[in-house]
Amino acid sequence: MTDLAQSLIDALALGGLYALIAIGITLTYTVMGMMNFAQGEFIMVPAYALFALAGVPFAVAVGGAIAAGIAIAVLAERVAFRPVRNADLAAQLVTSLAVATILQNVVSATVDDRAQSVATPALLSESSQVGALSVPNLEILTLALTAIVLGGLGWMLYRTRTGLEMRAAAENFEMARLLGVRANRVITIAFAISGALAAIAGVLIVMQTGQVSPTMGLTPVLVGFIAVVIGGFGRIFGAVIGGLVLGVLSSLLGTYLPDGLVPFRDAIVFSLPVAILIVRPQGLLGAATGEARI
Amino acid sequence: MTGRGLRSPASAATSLIVPLVLVALTAAIGASGTPAFEGTVTLILCNLIVVLGLQVFIGNSGVYSFGQLGFAACGAYVAALLTLPAAFTALQTPELPKLIADAQLSPLAATLIAALACGLLAGAVGWPLMRTSTLAIPISTFAFLIVAYNVLANWDAVTGGSSGLVSIPTTTSIESAGLWAGAAIVVALSFKWSAGGYRLQASREDEVAARSIGIGLMRERLIAFTISGMLCGIGGALAVHESGVLSPTTFYFAASVTTITMLVVGGSRSVLGAVIGTLAVATVNELLRNFEEGASAFGLISIGETPGLAAIGLGLILLVTMVALPGGLTRGREAGEIEPIRRRLRSRAPSPTVAATDGAGRHSARGSAGSLRAEGVSLAFSGLQVLRGVELALAPGEALGLIGPNGAGKTTLVNVLSGFQKPDSGSVFLDGLDVTGLSPPRLVRAGLGRTFQAGLPFAGLTVMESVAVGAMGVGVGRRRGVEIAADVLERLGLSEQAQSPAGLQPPGSQRLLGIARALATGPRYLLLDEPAAGLDDEESRELVAILREAIEDFGCAILLIEHDMNVVMDLCAKVQVLDDGKTVVVGTPEEVQAHPAVVEAYLGTSYAAGAHA
Repeated sequence: MTDLAQSLIDALALGGLYALIAIGITLTYTVMGMMNFAQGEFIMVPAYALFALAGVPFAVAVGGAIAAGIAIAVLAERVAFRPVRNADLAAQLVTSLAVATILQNVVSATVDDRAQSVATPALLSESSQVGALSVPNLEILTLALTAIVLGGLGWMLYRTRTGLEMRAAAENFEMARLLGVRANRVITIAFAISGALAAIAGVLIVMQTGQVSPTMGLTPVLVGFIAVVIGGFGRIFGAVIGGLVLGVLSSLLGTYLPDGLVPFRDAIVFSLPVAILIVRPQGLLGAATGEARI
Repeated sequence: MTGRGLRSPASAATSLIVPLVLVALTAAIGASGTPAFEGTVTLILCNLIVVLGLQVFIGNSGVYSFGQLGFAACGAYVAALLTLPAAFTALQTPELPKLIADAQLSPLAATLIAALACGLLAGAVGWPLMRTSTLAIPISTFAFLIVAYNVLANWDAVTGGSSGLVSIPTTTSIESAGLWAGAAIVVALSFKWSAGGYRLQASREDEVAARSIGIGLMRERLIAFTISGMLCGIGGALAVHESGVLSPTTFYFAASVTTITMLVVGGSRSVLGAVIGTLAVATVNELLRNFEEGASAFGLISIGETPGLAAIGLGLILLVTMVALPGGLTRGREAGEIEPIRRRLRSRAPSPTVAATDGAGRHSARGSAGSLRAEGVSLAFSGLQVLRGVELALAPGEALGLIGPNGAGKTTLVNVLSGFQKPDSGSVFLDGLDVTGLSPPRLVRAGLGRTFQAGLPFAGLTVMESVAVGAMGVGVGRRRGVEIAADVLERLGLSEQAQSPAGLQPPGSQRLLGIARALATGPRYLLLDEPAAGLDDEESRELVAILREAIEDFGCAILLIEHDMNVVMDLCAKVQVLDDGKTVVVGTPEEVQAHPAVVEAYLGTSYAAGAHA
């Protein structure tokens, strides 16, 4: 029983992390209609900021990482994504691929293309006793952060003017513009939030693995994409569900898969969701799209 | 090879010969250099085959796949294991089945088997992936790439795991790589110019319109995905027999970025673009790499192992292309299309009633029960009831006008009739058969055509191509499709502009083009959604004359949604009025005009007054 509860908490914590990544992808998708490949690098760059700020107090380093995430996301939007804002989906996707490649290799060239280890605060590698369970502090932190981010985002989207503008832009961007929604401002804010979320995810990943590498964003961005696809494009709640489904799946497979198959866990985790898409091409929560114009 | 009527023989020949000459020149230049240089050029040619593979799928479908390098990896591993001497396989992959481990095939046989294996794998992988939406395919194919990598890197007993394979015989000569690349060009162009290629390109230009002329997206994409997988497999198999080493990262993310950059820089829509992009990017890449390492390096494909300057350069090239030159260096044109050698299509003596005999012939068995009927059709969108038990009947050869105020549910009814929307309740019958919920492509094959208010042209195809693809959509061969299109275009007076881009037509021609495209599918029932919108009086009168002719020549019944009452009254012997999702009245134009509810709800008092004046 405690074993099951323990693996459930592990699973939820991983799901929370995936949800954070998926929300970041969803936010920029809703305001721009762009699937952002470089979201993985919005995770990687803050992780390197954490690595670079090794000597300073941990809280300051985390603040620096989040600032780096916001800065890189806003910069990428301004320099690369704004010129292709009205291009088709494929062009935007390829543009974000270019941004991802550039960021990865700038880090490779300036730091190193091999992984670097990062010290984690002792507190985060310890566990706390919750009832009969011993829960790693990092998992508690992950779950708490996910809850705070979800709450904050909900408040922002439904209680502030910017949130209203963002939701309007997500529904119908052109119409929202005609009604006076400030497109550049809304998109910049969406990217800033998305960068901050990616930075939080990046910090959590570094705390978990203890290292950074230029390609560390690749798997998380795929996980985020798949979560978004499972949940249904452009739906924040869908992204959360998608992230949780993937996290639970991945975590439980890690625990219960026979030894011989453990190396293939990623292959299994990434294959299964395709089955969902065959049954529901629009995702679990998505409405059928693509025929709205007729 | 040459498409009679789709392009001139001279243009087609130019489009084929120019890329072949480029490949021959590249091979000749490579063969004249040092062995190291020759090796580099050989690898570039192998890369070109992979990029041509990408072009077949991405260029024609307009959908990005990030997974094609997974097929290159598969081809490389299959071919390498089949050619590695038994002594080496015993060392590197101890648990490989004896049959494969002992096999030491000729390079040609190994490449062919690799191509076959990759074709099978691409078909099997594509079958589920192509079912996912246009938005999801880039992601699900990316997932495939990572799955393939994960399996190759961890299946130690068969693949040698993350350390990979070494001592692979280096049998790929620059001549053989050049010949294979030439063959790949022929394959890619043949596919692009086949009926299936045109169907896929039409879906790239507009998915909804493609479905409306009978094109099944999933099937067309799967065919291209499979051919693409085979070409990528061949490229991988040849490359690994040049470099002699193979690891799971050889054909992974970095190689995906490299090959996609090559395709995009050249212009993904043309085969020439794939060739020029590969050569241009490879050249820049080699220069950067020399600059970076101070020495000539083997292997574009292994860029992931030495990232840095070259990769940053690649990313910047890709970024600048997307921002400043989205169509690539060739702007998506083949060699024969760049200096327009466009000769106006000589209109052939039209075989009379081509489409009509086609339509009647295919469906004669059920002809007697012929009619299109809606029974009690209801549909609500998130609580808003749009259709409330609508009845409708359209008999062969009849013209029925469907009128009503904005929001009455007219377009929604047409969407239900043509399979684009499923009704909540009620049924649609075509020739007495219940066809409720069938997909648009299946309904088109059963004889139901439609147009759209928004037109939805295949902007990137020519007028001729976009009409011919209508016939190809219902399974007519390319040659016959061109004949049908020539006939339809002549009847609609569009022959003059047959070779100009569909997206650049004036509004009047645009409307006619939509109708021509639908007529080319040989419909017996044609649903027209506001064909006269945006036309002036003169053009509207011409439209009525053309539609009247179509009813007679093609023998098809017409359901006409139209706000221009003159058009409706001129053409239709029967008019049905819809308001708030319900039928108000059905009758002759005179009966309808006299109906008090209609006068009030739709025609308005001014029209009534004007009509009586």
